[in-house]
Amino acid sequence: MDSLNSLMDGFGTALTPMNLLWAAIGVLLGTAIGVLPGIGPAMAVALLLPVTYGLEPTGAFIMFAGIYYGAMFGGSTTSILLNTPGESAAVVAAIEGNPMAKAGRGAQALAAAAGGHFIGGMIGTILLVVLAPTVASLAVDIGAPDYFAIMVLAFIAVTSVLGSSRIRGLSSLLIGLTIGLVGLDQMTGQQRLTFGTLELADGIDVVIVAVGLFAIGEALWVAAHLRRSSGEPVPVGRPWLGKDDVRRTWKPWLRGPLIGFPFGAIPAGGAEIPTFLSYVTEKRLSKHKKEFGKGAIEGVAGPESAASASAAGTLVSMLTLGLPTTAVAAVMLAAFQQYGIQPGPLLFERESELVWGLIASLFVGMVLLLALNLPLAPVWVKLLRIPRPYLYAGILFFAAVGAYAVGGEALDLVILLIIGLIGFGMRRYGLPVLPAVIGVILGPAAEQQMRRALQISDGSVTGLVNTPFSVTVYAVIALIVCWPLVRKLVPGRRKQDEETKVSV
Amino acid sequence: MTARPNTPANTPPSAPPKEETSASRGASWLREHSELGVSLMLFVLGVLVLTDALTMDVDITQRGPVGPKTVPIVIGIGLLVLAVLLSLDVLRGGRGESETGEDIDLSEPSDWRTVLLLAGVFLGNAVLIGPLGFPISGALLFWGSAYALGSRHPSRDPLIAAGLSLFTYFIFNNLLGVPLPGGPLMGVI
Amino acid sequence: MRFRTPLALLGAALLVLVGPPLLSVGSGGDTGTQIPGLRFMVPNTPGGGYDITARTMAKNAEDAELNHNIEVFNLPGAGGTVGLARAVSEHGNGKLAVSMGLGVVGAVRTNNSHETLADTTPIARISEETDIVVVGKDSPYKTLDQLVTAWKKDPAKLPVGGGSSPGGPDHLAPMLMARAAGIAPKTVNYVPFDGGGELLASILGNKVAFGVSGLGEYRDQIEAGELRLLAVTGPERTPGMDAPTLREAGLDTDFTNWRGVVAPPGLSDAERDKLIAFFEELHASPQWKDSLKKNGWDDAFLTGEKFGDFLAAEDKRVESVLKELGL
Repeated sequence: MDSLNSLMDGFGTALTPMNLLWAAIGVLLGTAIGVLPGIGPAMAVALLLPVTYGLEPTGAFIMFAGIYYGAMFGGSTTSILLNTPGESAAVVAAIEGNPMAKAGRGAQALAAAAGGHFIGGMIGTILLVVLAPTVASLAVDIGAPDYFAIMVLAFIAVTSVLGSSRIRGLSSLLIGLTIGLVGLDQMTGQQRLTFGTLELADGIDVVIVAVGLFAIGEALWVAAHLRRSSGEPVPVGRPWLGKDDVRRTWKPWLRGPLIGFPFGAIPAGGAEIPTFLSYVTEKRLSKHKKEFGKGAIEGVAGPESAASASAAGTLVSMLTLGLPTTAVAAVMLAAFQQYGIQPGPLLFERESELVWGLIASLFVGMVLLLALNLPLAPVWVKLLRIPRPYLYAGILFFAAVGAYAVGGEALDLVILLIIGLIGFGMRRYGLPVLPAVIGVILGPAAEQQMRRALQISDGSVTGLVNTPFSVTVYAVIALIVCWPLVRKLVPGRRKQDEETKVSV
Repeated sequence: MTARPNTPANTPPSAPPKEETSASRGASWLREHSELGVSLMLFVLGVLVLTDALTMDVDITQRGPVGPKTVPIVIGIGLLVLAVLLSLDVLRGGRGESETGEDIDLSEPSDWRTVLLLAGVFLGNAVLIGPLGFPISGALLFWGSAYALGSRHPSRDPLIAAGLSLFTYFIFNNLLGVPLPGGPLMGVI
Repeated sequence: MRFRTPLALLGAALLVLVGPPLLSVGSGGDTGTQIPGLRFMVPNTPGGGYDITARTMAKNAEDAELNHNIEVFNLPGAGGTVGLARAVSEHGNGKLAVSMGLGVVGAVRTNNSHETLADTTPIARISEETDIVVVGKDSPYKTLDQLVTAWKKDPAKLPVGGGSSPGGPDHLAPMLMARAAGIAPKTVNYVPFDGGGELLASILGNKVAFGVSGLGEYRDQIEAGELRLLAVTGPERTPGMDAPTLREAGLDTDFTNWRGVVAPPGLSDAERDKLIAFFEELHASPQWKDSLKKNGWDDAFLTGEKFGDFLAAEDKRVESVLKELGL
């Protein structure tokens, strides 16, 4: 009840004309930045840090929150339309969204994404209000062995997106893991696969890998087989979600936050793993499994909802513990420190007006974003009407801009091209691209958590299973792995099985 | 790293079928089984990862069973195993399905000229962005790509390319404060 | 019609050639500018320590009307050595200042970088911050003495967490402590974390025996009683913090994490003095004093030769520790 009152006061703060203006500027900037390649929300907030000197803190943070959420909305737009994810959380949106866009359902994909962001963000923010204290105390108890267990679960889940051929899917995953090896070993500082170049010491940026495999690979593949005969443009289609679409999206929208929010709140969680897990979950649960990979709307709705909810979860640990769980949170933390405010256990007492104003502005920002993005969806889709040579030249152009903006290194462009050629070859020989990207993201994180767990236990293997949480996760993994066996042994109850599966 | 999976298929597919000599049968067998190139790439990658891991000198005290070498070794062995499995699969007649899409016409033979041209243009951008600056190299990238993809508007294309490149430069450099190299005339004018 | 194509080509060429300089006109030509076109390079990602320092300095210098339009750009990579290499290659460029600190000294060593800080022109040390030794509130260790006693008995069983990778500040501090306590640094079980967030969770959850980090990051958690402060690593006590220095607690060493500015090599004396004068004026400005207070940075201003000597001494110290570790 206490937090409800504070929230009401917060709305009082957020709805003042000035703060509304900052929220509006924030979401507009955020959306624009999300649409631009190579500039993720973290970089955007960091670049705007100096602006805060001229602002009082409440206004500044309301604007930052708007940028954060807005960039999430905008990030999926280019993923869906051009297949160029600007940041790793938007990778999944490209997988189902881009085929939809090409089939003339771009507006629906964008609407499903916007709806997902809205609902995910709303539920996430409500959870933030209700659960902030509890989640914060739970987050502290989660350590390296637990992360590793979660990542093993994620790897197991990945096998279900390996595509039609297991061998080819695994090959793709291992190519991704290999790319993930490049760079300094986090634990000891050993160079791995860097061939002595300093530029490779930080590894290959995930954005470069994703843009290379998706955008460049796709552009080259299309170039090799461009349908020159048909001059007709991609149909834009109806601008809104049809009844059928809504029937297919509302459940994923609601399920997304359940996966996204907890991951956002735990350190080392972030938005990538929950988007993958949500994607896999939706694929499992969908009645339209065959459409997956060719443009299933559930595969856009669920992950996008999860991504937004994880952003809300991120704010929980940042505000209550001073724990930055993602890059954006780290930059926002730095912004707090600019004002001499230290997020942490005392923040809610000391700066209650600021915090609740910020939380209330999240709700306001979300409404603004939905109002902005739904009508814009059909406008964005017109991008696809551009003549094919210009469209694919533009994709190559923006991919290059994005890769260069990340680090300002010409070498990144060469790496981008090499990865693009790998992506081209993978398309030619039916190696699915997604497992490779997952390998790049999950591989290094899993290795680091495993080794950290082993180091904390001083080398004893029991260090991997010494927490109740990790044991539970491994039990779940065992169940998933054994489930097909169990099903075979218990015949005759198939129908009921399927019913429970749908309602989960 | 640059091992390209498509190398064996690089032989021009447009070569007309000649009479049944053993050489041409060999060539067509290779074309049929060009996916073996993927196995070869996985194999080379595996060897590369293993060599890198085994030649790493770890002087720092290692704690526990897992050091900086362990994971690369596992991945390297995995790559080798998959290379073998994939070869067996291909020789038994397994084929990866080429990806399809709206703009893709698989009935046409692969157009290698366009692909090579695009790759060349992109590489040119990487080389030129330093000396010539982003606006010029970016415009060349867009123009060249559009040309390679079949756009033939000699007066419209360069103008669109230059405009897009300059506009992007302006957004990143001036509005967002992400500095991009401006070109040879920076500081002269 | 025949002329349209050449005209279009000419127009396009003009656009990309003349456009960029025209767009950037006004950056630096104004009056009141001491060093026109001054740029700050940040050798790590936006939001990091060097980034915040550089952007704060740029903003303060503009507000104090010392210089207009200072461009801050990031060139991250390999703990700062990629940026360092670029700076060294900009031989004779008197309009570039690199925001750096102790972390870069360590990174040069761990990455076996060809370019070192000895190749640069030292300009000024800007600020410093003490590291702290902290444990969770329900840790069995109440004083540094208890901790060190247990640590000596079995260093491997007492993992120490820090926010930097090997060679970085949070790694060097516990190694220096171990050496002072008579523990071989090689036996120290140091667990690196990405930045402060995961580390904080691990200290609070007693996943690591103790943590070493910058004071600024955890000031509030200490005040809230979530973390127990056992010692500060600086040579003197920190006002407002109820904790001894390492020396007072019986470990004969001290350690501060500092930040500073270097410039490319090959500057003329006049160019170098101009840069130093710029930072001296910045240091004297009320805006900068305000920023120091806001960010909780300690003033540690040192310029020119003296800063160069300091750099060399720090490099030696870092090298000796890392050598013992075999890095």
